[in-house]
Amino acid sequence: MSDGAKPVGLALPLPVLMGLAWLVPGLGHALLGRRLRAAVFFVVITLGFIVGLLLDGELMLPQSGDALSFLAMIGSDPLRSLALIASVGNGLLFFVAHAIGTGQGVVTAPGYEFGNTFLLTAGMMNLLLVLDTHDIATGRKDW
Amino acid sequence: MLDHLSLMVLDAFLVAVFFSFLWKRERRERWLYFWKVFGALVVGAIVLAWVMYPFPRG
Repeated sequence: MSDGAKPVGLALPLPVLMGLAWLVPGLGHALLGRRLRAAVFFVVITLGFIVGLLLDGELMLPQSGDALSFLAMIGSDPLRSLALIASVGNGLLFFVAHAIGTGQGVVTAPGYEFGNTFLLTAGMMNLLLVLDTHDIATGRKDW
Repeated sequence: MLDHLSLMVLDAFLVAVFFSFLWKRERRERWLYFWKVFGALVVGAIVLAWVMYPFPRG
């Protein structure tokens, strides 16, 4: 597997590349030829996400029927809005989990808080990968 | 189900692996950084728990 310093791999527009990096953990690095890191990031983030779901963690969502409720939440509950950003940061995993009805969160479950920690950590790590993909694609990071 | 300490160690492991691959390039650097982050998270959490121990609940 290659993981060394290489020029930018696939020539995709930067916003598209960053969007793909957000959708699937590690995909941005894979498209840029950083396959080892891409595989590690994919496994780490997906594993964290799955453990979070198994522990009955909660994927934060805007209030149903009002997508703009997120904007109101920023002022009234900044911590929850940060949690929402971290939840959505999981990309496709977030939408798949939501579509199949998991990640609702069981507040009374013993693993609820830990589940949240795993889910939010996975989302924040994935968002960091988007920034890292940006740095590699623009040449600010040469490996 | 895993106990809280095991879950904390697992979370620390995942975070340490992630950051060692994100920020370090060479294998040796990654190992060193992994142990630093992993150790800091696990030991730090246990120390913090003991520091908080005398405080009353609720």
